[in-house]
Amino acid sequence: MSLSPSSPAPRTGLRFAVVGNPENRRTSMFADAVRAAGHGTPRVLPWRDVLRGRYAFTPGEWVRIDSPGENAEVDRLLRGTDDPARVEGTALWHRRFTAVLRDVARAAHRAGAVTSADPEDVAVMFDKRRCHARLSAAGVPVPPALTGAVGGWEELKDRLKQARLARVFVKPAHGSSASGIVALETAGPGRVKATTSVETAPDGRLYNSLRVRHYTSEPEVAALVDALVPDGIHVERWLPKASQGGRACDLRVVVVAGRATHAVVRTSRHPMTNLHLGGTRGDLDAARAAITAAGGRFADVLETAERAAACFPGTLCVGVDILPGAGWRRFTVGEVNAFGDLLPRLTGLPGSGAEGLDTYAAQVAAAQVAVRRTERKEHHHDTTA
Amino acid sequence: MTFADHFETFHGLPVHTLPERPEEALPAAGAVAWRLDCHVAESMSFDDLWQSFVDRVPSTEVRALVIGPWWYDEYSELRPALELILADAPRFPALRALFLADVTGEECEISWLQLTDVTPVLEAFPLLEELAVRGGDSQGLGEEPLSLRPVRHEALRIMRFESGGLPAQVVRAVGASELPALEHLELWLGVSQYGGDATVADLAPVLAGGRFPALRRLGLQDSELQDEIAAAVASAPVVAQLESLSLSMGTLTDGGAEALLRGQPLSHLKRLDLHHHFLSESVADRVRTAFGSAGTEVDLSDQCAPHRWRDEEWRYVAVSE
Repeated sequence: MSLSPSSPAPRTGLRFAVVGNPENRRTSMFADAVRAAGHGTPRVLPWRDVLRGRYAFTPGEWVRIDSPGENAEVDRLLRGTDDPARVEGTALWHRRFTAVLRDVARAAHRAGAVTSADPEDVAVMFDKRRCHARLSAAGVPVPPALTGAVGGWEELKDRLKQARLARVFVKPAHGSSASGIVALETAGPGRVKATTSVETAPDGRLYNSLRVRHYTSEPEVAALVDALVPDGIHVERWLPKASQGGRACDLRVVVVAGRATHAVVRTSRHPMTNLHLGGTRGDLDAARAAITAAGGRFADVLETAERAAACFPGTLCVGVDILPGAGWRRFTVGEVNAFGDLLPRLTGLPGSGAEGLDTYAAQVAAAQVAVRRTERKEHHHDTTA
Repeated sequence: MTFADHFETFHGLPVHTLPERPEEALPAAGAVAWRLDCHVAESMSFDDLWQSFVDRVPSTEVRALVIGPWWYDEYSELRPALELILADAPRFPALRALFLADVTGEECEISWLQLTDVTPVLEAFPLLEELAVRGGDSQGLGEEPLSLRPVRHEALRIMRFESGGLPAQVVRAVGASELPALEHLELWLGVSQYGGDATVADLAPVLAGGRFPALRRLGLQDSELQDEIAAAVASAPVVAQLESLSLSMGTLTDGGAEALLRGQPLSHLKRLDLHHHFLSESVADRVRTAFGSAGTEVDLSDQCAPHRWRDEEWRYVAVSE
């Protein structure tokens, strides 16, 4: 398929809707892409209404499911907390969010509409333990991880020792955007260092901040981990990452309809590369050159991302975090993000079919193809039944 | 700050990491600096990696060696790995350069590297020309910290200690050593919190000059006593023999820079490196004018502002933990 922007605007009669937060730029950027493709303004179904059961779909509608994040009211409805910066409450968030997604998908299906994401896929992507297990079972390279529940700091310490893991990431199982993530290093008796953007309030509550800080006393680290445990944690090996310009880096690869279309390098002085924590976009050409110099192929890196995305076949677009090992020789998949397409103004990779298109335009183009395929399949079923 | 990048060159040679990539041909033994990395090796121990190196590479031609992470899963002490290297010293008659602990912050905090006494390196390799060591006080993690005994070594031209906390004992041993060929001495002194407990008095033998007659490039860097060091350097006899001086990466403020401005002429220097400093704009300008106008290349990049916390100003060196 060709998604060239110079093609005449397709007028398939496809109608788009977005379940999202109307004030969020994700919603407006997707709406822009829909209009630019000649489809008219998409209908926006605000999460705040959807969560209260106030929504309906129309036959033939393509329904984009977007992030419920960055909206205090929606966050309160999902997580039961008044402060969006609070780290805790993600287990409740996950239960409520996935339940609503299932309702939405059922309602869409009944109405003859198509959703961009499968609720079971999203449920797994928002559970880092299950996501890791699914990728691992499919043979996608992932960092080694602890399996089974971890009960608290003392247990974590023992388990790390048994597993001979000196450096790990402790991640809230249902977190996103580095929320609650702790880069943990242990050595010798009682020697510990935690690097995180989480701030522990005097009353023991945890808050995400924009500043990365270090905790080096065991009681502090124990309190931090113990406060994360009730929502569930995923613990995986912190593999040394490759660097670019003196900063550790990873790659975010967006996969649309099975194909890696967009990629960015994210670099940081911290173990976390998220842009809101001081990470910056790195140089993709330099990364490609480093991979080639190390004897690898950038195409293989993209293929790894596509294999990770293939674990979520019911979802049109995912963002795959690829962790290049020091020396750019080995690559593992850190996370697969259901809403990992917020990369403003980034155009598609050469040869990806999305050259000149941003992540939203690429999805709009792919949606038309996906709908035609679904229609053909259903027509085929009807005639052979 | 910690280290983010591995070396691409060392001792003027491109670095070649072992284990190599599959299907990668080994370069000529003398054409590269060989780097051993147990993180790349994954399940291979340093012993096995070393054995495979000496079995496959003609060791008599090896000129430069870089030791990367010598552990994979759990941090370990350098000593057993170093003992292995030293036991094979007779097989490396051409070795001229050794870097111990080319390790990044993504692999291990510099203050957690468990080093050892590095004197035996100089004893085992009398023709060594370049020795560089990263790490310092191991913060009680290893059985022993980085250490050095006073030595006499005829060939050593370059000696560098990159540390966030260089033990005073090492600084004193350097000052008490006889290194007639030493041209380049670089000491990253670090901070006392990470075991960098040297004082300006410990630098006296180096500053006195004559100790190292061939010395042309001196770096006394990354120190929380950078102003005191600058003041001592301002009248230090050693400066007359230098081509290049670095007082970079530390907590240099206007006080230290003004001591330099008041002190002995520095116009004979080709290069004065003060990058990562806390100078005011006006003093930085005076330094640039006073030293730059004489033809000295002055590096005043990475101007830092102090952090304010609890009504106090905090200044940080470039490399500590």
